[in-house]
Amino acid sequence: MQNPYVPAPVEVIKIVTEVDTKDIKTFRFAFLNEEDEAAFQYLPGQFGELSIFGKGESPIGIASSPTQKGYIEFTVQRAGVVTSALHDMEVGAVMGVRGPLGNSWPIDYLAGKDIVIVGGGFAFTTLRSLINYMIHPDNRSRFGKITVIYGARNPGLLIYKDELEAWGKRDDINLNVTVDKGDATWKGREGFVPTVCKEVAPSSENAVTVICGPPIMIRFTLPVFFELGFSKENIITSLEMRMKCGIGKCGRCNVGEKYVCKDGPVFSLAELDKLTKEY
Amino acid sequence: MEKRLIKKESLAGVIAELAGKMRVCAPMQAEDQVLFRVLEPSERPLVDFANTKNAPKNFLFPRTETLLKYTRTPKGMVAAGGAEEGMKTLFFGCRPCDARSFKLLDMLFDQEKYQDPYYIDKRAKTTVVAMACVHPPYTTCFCTSVGGNPTDSEGADVLLTDLGDQYLAEFITPKGEELLAAFGGTPAGVEAEKAKEGIAAQASSEIASTVPAREAKPVLDVRFEDPFWSTLHQKCLACGTCTYLCPTCHCFDISDEVKRNDGIRIRNWDSCMFPLFTKETSGHNPRPSQKERWRQRVMHKFRYYVDNFNAIACVGCGRCVMACPVNMDIRKIVADIVKL
Repeated sequence: MQNPYVPAPVEVIKIVTEVDTKDIKTFRFAFLNEEDEAAFQYLPGQFGELSIFGKGESPIGIASSPTQKGYIEFTVQRAGVVTSALHDMEVGAVMGVRGPLGNSWPIDYLAGKDIVIVGGGFAFTTLRSLINYMIHPDNRSRFGKITVIYGARNPGLLIYKDELEAWGKRDDINLNVTVDKGDATWKGREGFVPTVCKEVAPSSENAVTVICGPPIMIRFTLPVFFELGFSKENIITSLEMRMKCGIGKCGRCNVGEKYVCKDGPVFSLAELDKLTKEY
Repeated sequence: MEKRLIKKESLAGVIAELAGKMRVCAPMQAEDQVLFRVLEPSERPLVDFANTKNAPKNFLFPRTETLLKYTRTPKGMVAAGGAEEGMKTLFFGCRPCDARSFKLLDMLFDQEKYQDPYYIDKRAKTTVVAMACVHPPYTTCFCTSVGGNPTDSEGADVLLTDLGDQYLAEFITPKGEELLAAFGGTPAGVEAEKAKEGIAAQASSEIASTVPAREAKPVLDVRFEDPFWSTLHQKCLACGTCTYLCPTCHCFDISDEVKRNDGIRIRNWDSCMFPLFTKETSGHNPRPSQKERWRQRVMHKFRYYVDNFNAIACVGCGRCVMACPVNMDIRKIVADIVKL
C-alpha cells in the first residue's frame, strides 16, 4: 500500500524572490528519486503539501505547469512556521513534497472554449500554471482565445514579472496587467481588477472564466462577469481552507460534505452555490 | 457459522491466557471507572461491566501516533524510517455499539482512494470479540435509533451473549473462527439460539432513549442557516470531551517533534470543538465561534457522513451525553432539530 503521508524527498534547485517586499518567493524543486518524479503526475490547479521535517507541512498550489519537465515550482508567501522555514532555505537544501493533491482546473471542460483568467495579487500561482499549460505548443490549439487580467496593489507586488513580459509579446494572449496604484516608473494600466474586467469586457460566448484572488476582489469581480453573461457553471475558482492530511481524513477543511483537499480546491460557482457558506 | 457454549467461569481465564500470546485490549477496573486498556500477560479482564469510559478506537487510531521518523543531515532533515508495524491484537468485551464504530471508521480510513495505512494495518490485525448487552447498561443508550442493536454483531468477529448460566459464542468471521480452539466450549444447539432470540427482543425493548436520528438529515439539509444554531452552543465550554470519548470521531492534527538530531511526525486527536481547529495562518477562521463548531459537529454526524457514506456517524453509546460537564445532550439536540 502506498503511504500518502510520506513526502517525496526533493532538492531546492532555484529560488526567485518575486516581490519588492521579499516575502513571496518561487521555489523550484527537483525530485531526488526518479520514481517519485514519475509518480507526481499533475494538472494545473492541483496542490502539494510542502513538508519540512521538524517544522510541519503547508498546502500550496503548484505554480509550474506539467509541460515544464524535470522540476516543480511553488510560489510561497512567508506567513507561518513552515513557510518561514522555507523562506530561510537556500539552494541545495533537501525537503519533501506530498502530492499531487486535490482536483485540478477542469482542463477537459476548458478545452475548445475561450478562457478568461482573472488573478489578484499573490493568488496567481495555479493560474500561471494553467496559462503556461495552455500556451504550450502541444496544447495551444485545444483552447480558444486566452484573455488574462492580472492585478496587484502596486508594481512591486506583481509576481512572475519576466513571464508577464514574455506573454505580453505574444499575439495569442490578450494580457492585461493592472496595479491599484502605479509608481514613478510604472507605464502600464492603473485600476482595480473588477474595473479592468469591465473595460476589457471579454465575451461570454463559449467562454469560461477562471478567477483567483483575495475575497474582496472576487466579490466585486463576480457581478461584472454576471453582467457579461457568464453563467455560474462557467465561473470557476479555487478555495483555501486550513488543511493537515490533504486526503480527506483529518476533518477540518470540509465545506458541507465536500473536502476542499480532495473534492476541491477547484469548484465552479454553480457547485459552490450548492455547498454551505462556511469558508 | 460456528456457535459454542462457553462456561461462565472459564471466559476470563481464556482471555487472560490469550493476553500472553498477543496484545489483548479489554475492560478493566481503574479506581471508580472501567477503562478499555491493554492487558498484561495472564491478567483477567472484567466480564461483567456496563461499558468502558473510553472508546476502543484508541487502539486502532491512537491518541498519539508516529507517522514517520527523520534525522538531521548537513542538507536538512531526511526520512529515517516509518511507523512501527501494528501487532496482532484482540479486542475483548466491546459493546455492540463500539464494535459497530469500527465499521464506520473503516468507511473513512479505508476508502478506495487515499487509504490510511496506519489504521488499516492495525484494523487488519485486530480481532473483535464483542459482548452483547443483555440489559442495555445506561438510560443514555440509543443504539437502536442510529442503526445498531444491543445484541447485534456488526463489526464483531465473535459475539458473546450471556445466557444466564453460560455464554453463547457466535464465531461470525474467519478471523473469529481462529479463536475456536482457544475458546473451547461445547456446540450450541437450537435451545441456545432460541434463548438468544428472546434476549435480543427483550434487550431492544429495554433501550430507553429514542432519537429521531434518520429524520434529522432532511431537516439539516435545509437548515444550515437557522436561528436554532445560536441557541445551542452557549453553555459549551469547548473542552472537547465529547469528541475524545466518541467512538466515531476521527479528526486529527499532524505535528512535528524534534529532540537534538532526531524527530518524529506524529498525529494527535484533534477536535472540531476547538477554536484553532480551522484557524488559518492569516487569522481568518471559517468557524469563528462555538456556534459554527457545534453546527459542524451535528452536521458531520447526521448529514455529511450520510451524504458521503450513507451512514450516521454516531453509534448511540451515550458517552458524550454522560461526560459533558455542562449537560449538552445530543439526543435532545437531534430531537429539537427534527421539530424545526
